Amino acid sequence: MRELTTVIKLIMLERKDIFLSILFGFLAGMGAVSLFANSGYLISMAAINPPLYVLTTSIALLKLFSATRAASKYGERYFSHRATFTMLSNLRVHFFEKLEPLAPRIFHRFRSGDLLSRIVGDVESLQNFFLRVYYPPIVMMIVFLSTIAFTTFFSVHVAVTLLVGLVLTGFVIPAWFALKQYKIMSQLREKRGVVSTEATEFFYGFRDLKLYQKLDTQEKNVRTTADQYVKEQRRDSIHELYSTSIIQMISLSVSWFVLGLGAYLVGTGELEGVFLAMLVMISLTVFENATPMAIFPAYYEDSRRAATRLFSVINDESENKGVVEEELLTKELQEKDPISINMNNISFSYPGEARKTLSEINIDIPSGTKTAIVGPSGSGKSTLIQLLLKFYDEYDGDIVVNGSTLAQVRKESVWKATNTVLQSNHFFYGTIRDNLLLARDTVTDEEMKQALEMVDLNEFSLDDKVIEKGGNLSGGEKQRLAIARAILKGSRLWLLDEPTSSVDFVTEKKIYSHLFDLGKEDTVVLISHRLTGLEQMDQIIVMEHGRVVETGTYDELMERKGYFYQLKEIEKSVLM
Amino acid sequence: MKQLKEIARAQRGKMYALVMISILLGVVIVAQAYFIVAIVDSVFLQRESFQAVLPLLIGLIVVLIGRAVFSYLNGRIGVNMAAKVKKDFRESLLRKYAKNPIQAALKGQSGEKVSILMDAVDEIDSYFSKYYPQIIQTSVVPLIILVTVFYYNWVSGLIMLITAPFIPIFMIIIGMATQKKSEEQLEKLAAFSGQFLDKLQGLATLKLFGRAKEQREVIQKSSLEYRDATMTVLKTAFTQSLMLEFISMLSIALIALEVGLRLVIYEQLTFFIAFIVLVLAPEFYNSLKELGSAFHTGRGSMGAAKKVTEELEEKDKPISWGERSLVKHQPIAISLQNVSFSYENSGFSLQEIKGEFPSTREVAIIGRSGSGKTTLLHILSGLLNPLDGAVLVNGHPLFEYKEKDWFDQLSYISQDPYLFAGTIRDNIAIGGTGNESDQEIELAAEKAGISEMVRNLEKGFNTAVGEAGRGLSGGEKQRIALARAFLKQPSLILFDEPTVGLDLKTEQILQQSMKELAKTSTIITVAHRLHTIRKADQILLLEKGQLLATGTHEELLSTNPHYREMVSAQGGEAQ
Repeated sequence: MRELTTVIKLIMLERKDIFLSILFGFLAGMGAVSLFANSGYLISMAAINPPLYVLTTSIALLKLFSATRAASKYGERYFSHRATFTMLSNLRVHFFEKLEPLAPRIFHRFRSGDLLSRIVGDVESLQNFFLRVYYPPIVMMIVFLSTIAFTTFFSVHVAVTLLVGLVLTGFVIPAWFALKQYKIMSQLREKRGVVSTEATEFFYGFRDLKLYQKLDTQEKNVRTTADQYVKEQRRDSIHELYSTSIIQMISLSVSWFVLGLGAYLVGTGELEGVFLAMLVMISLTVFENATPMAIFPAYYEDSRRAATRLFSVINDESENKGVVEEELLTKELQEKDPISINMNNISFSYPGEARKTLSEINIDIPSGTKTAIVGPSGSGKSTLIQLLLKFYDEYDGDIVVNGSTLAQVRKESVWKATNTVLQSNHFFYGTIRDNLLLARDTVTDEEMKQALEMVDLNEFSLDDKVIEKGGNLSGGEKQRLAIARAILKGSRLWLLDEPTSSVDFVTEKKIYSHLFDLGKEDTVVLISHRLTGLEQMDQIIVMEHGRVVETGTYDELMERKGYFYQLKEIEKSVLM
Repeated sequence: MKQLKEIARAQRGKMYALVMISILLGVVIVAQAYFIVAIVDSVFLQRESFQAVLPLLIGLIVVLIGRAVFSYLNGRIGVNMAAKVKKDFRESLLRKYAKNPIQAALKGQSGEKVSILMDAVDEIDSYFSKYYPQIIQTSVVPLIILVTVFYYNWVSGLIMLITAPFIPIFMIIIGMATQKKSEEQLEKLAAFSGQFLDKLQGLATLKLFGRAKEQREVIQKSSLEYRDATMTVLKTAFTQSLMLEFISMLSIALIALEVGLRLVIYEQLTFFIAFIVLVLAPEFYNSLKELGSAFHTGRGSMGAAKKVTEELEEKDKPISWGERSLVKHQPIAISLQNVSFSYENSGFSLQEIKGEFPSTREVAIIGRSGSGKTTLLHILSGLLNPLDGAVLVNGHPLFEYKEKDWFDQLSYISQDPYLFAGTIRDNIAIGGTGNESDQEIELAAEKAGISEMVRNLEKGFNTAVGEAGRGLSGGEKQRIALARAFLKQPSLILFDEPTVGLDLKTEQILQQSMKELAKTSTIITVAHRLHTIRKADQILLLEKGQLLATGTHEELLSTNPHYREMVSAQGGEAQ
């Protein structure tokens, strides 16, 4: 429940829509009850030859109630959905505000896959919270209580019977089923997870399974787990069905009791016979408002889980601690000077991992120099850049930037001072211009065109469309666009992580010559996937298994005939 | 839609049961009305005692319980039908996918296929669990009510008969008028919903450019636009139910007016008849209206069903293997005779490839990316069926051999070997027959140069590697694949050589291991490294699916300008 309080707070921002949903829900519920009460009364009155005006009034009322019910139902639906979608919008904004300070460091937890899209799914699934969990019980309560109040005028006994029915169908039964729902749903999810894993193995490992003749075994695995999953789903559906039927049965039994009690009371003269039909019709109709309670447990459980998962991401205390500490930092990096970097004895492992990604790294990058970092994949090159960008700060040793300890410097000022191209760069839905404008507000079209030219993307127009994640751009195009964006930013430290790994050799050379021209005075750190074109670098750092194995200029390293030389030999021997 | 109906009909027993229960449900609904009206009539007009109506009350409670029980049973049959259909669909899909040659699996649609197997099949559920039982119920229950009303009072029956068709007619008219509009809106919605995810995924980029804070407004704005577009779609749906509600309310009011007038003014009806008609009328219209809401649930399923059946209908050409046996550790020689192959829906094709792969020799296949090297490797391994030409193994067509015998002889070390969920030991053992001892597995790991790394892990060979070998580097995965080969000791090894990114140690181990394996096996390598190419007994040079030249390194250097150019382009180290 604690997790849902935030959601409730966000819902409460839409007071007017909530009020209107409940009001119209109430009117619709009461419309139906009045309609059937009225028709029961009308028919009974008709049987005992009343004055005509009673009949005509009743018939007029009948029409009024019909219209009220139909129109109110529309209003209820309209306002409740509007409230829901406004709430979702508030939730997205709230979530974004909370997640924003935690990024990008929080993304290490998302490396394994599509957690972000799951988050988006969780937000979506919370739409059922207001629609099926939050307000229907409120409407049900008010309709029931009003109806019960009305029936007390005719028979207190009948009113008490209805009250017992309300307690049973509205609270006791749903609560009981909600308890069981929790277990069933967690088993269902578990089973689904298993099938999904087995199916993923089946498809992604198809070739190897086939070659090792394990395809049949795996097919059987998927089939068995899928069968168990279907069985579990069946159990869940029957559970829901059962809950609906029990509520239906209790509602009908209460109406039966009302009828029996009424019949008895008419016999004893405590109730006028003309009201009997009306009371039975009321009872049969009012319990229609209890039907949504049958699906309440499932949606409640669903919302609770979605909310828990959602807020566990942003409420993680250890993550938030970092944010608070960050706010206390005051040191700024001066953008105007080229930046010097010293790494002293840095060791680092990713949170939750035992293996050290970096061990005892010592690096000295004087301001205005050009440094290349090379080494096999997995040697820790990118991690170095991530530490420089303050994505992580729980390393041993210290990093000194322009004489200040990096740990004391505000993240924002570090980011402001760097032109960064990461291995994967995000492009947003919009145009090329929109994506380049991220660099600086003051960028002119002319500058953008120049930057595109430098990265050999002349064929792009600034108005060309970009879809989410730059899905319509090729790998090389994305890399070049990211470089253009970095060029436009105009800061004095360049951090480039394999910026041209998908770009052909000739274009790469051209881009680098522009970059080194632009960044003549700046500090450049380039992680390179190739060993060619490194002759002009001031220093080359060679890494393997998280350690620096060699440092020197190109000529020095080639002369030494050490690790770099051997890598170079291999590269030379590789075709394509 | 048609297919789903047929599937439903195929479950004959359940269909009949649904019809039976629906009939009972109709009877129970009528009986419920009868008892209620009879009790009120007796007590109110006939002034009978409570004791006198007791039998009627008992009858009523039985009927009420019956109604709940029958609704439950009806739903339960639907749920069972859905469970069976989902099971059947998954099984046919799996059977189909398992038979599929590698081609489909390599099209890079694995994610999509997982989603069809999981999500699309699940979406079919509501057709059987909700829509179909409702359809049957709606075709039976109103009919029974109508007959009853006609029996008591034909005028009311006539009103029902005339007004009832308006409900489906209006549903269709409104549906047609709004469908196009709402489909357009739905497209817009799909575009909107992606944008929030886009912003979250790009959060790191936004922060690096100091742009994150201002996105709050952007999200709010697009979110509210999303809301308004959704509301437009929903409003049409709500209007539709409003109209239906009005029709049924008007009809009920009409009936009420009719029975009221005939009861009071013309005194043609008894209270009993008037009341029972009035109780049954809402049941009648409700049942019709419920069809409308069931229809919406059914429609989602139909889309999913279409996806699944399309998948099942897609043509495939399974490979059929023969009965010829191949003795284990027997030397293997392969001959490619004018082999051609092309992928469906793609322009690429391999054309008339000829080649000899003598036993215990090493053959290298080289060419630019996209020249067809990997496809050729798949054909050589028996994973793809050539469209034309033949692969001869020791003089006989490959597919004449027993599938098991063939794969028992072969190891395939790809650039990105797949590691299955399980321990490292399991992942090596998959290469063997399943009877290998721990020592043998560890020896294989030793030879593949990975045992040191494994022993340094806390749990050693029992370390679990996740799906697709998460947690291991590319080089480590490749060495596990090598260990599999050492365990298997195959007569034929197909090897897709790594391009870049391996550390020096892994490089050395790979070379050492290949040398050892080469002693007893025929080796076919997709080669990128000059030293592999130099020592190959034969080189096949591919270009755009065609065989440009065959020969040794020296031969090709002297005869083929294209080859010479390739070798010298890479830093000029031709010698």
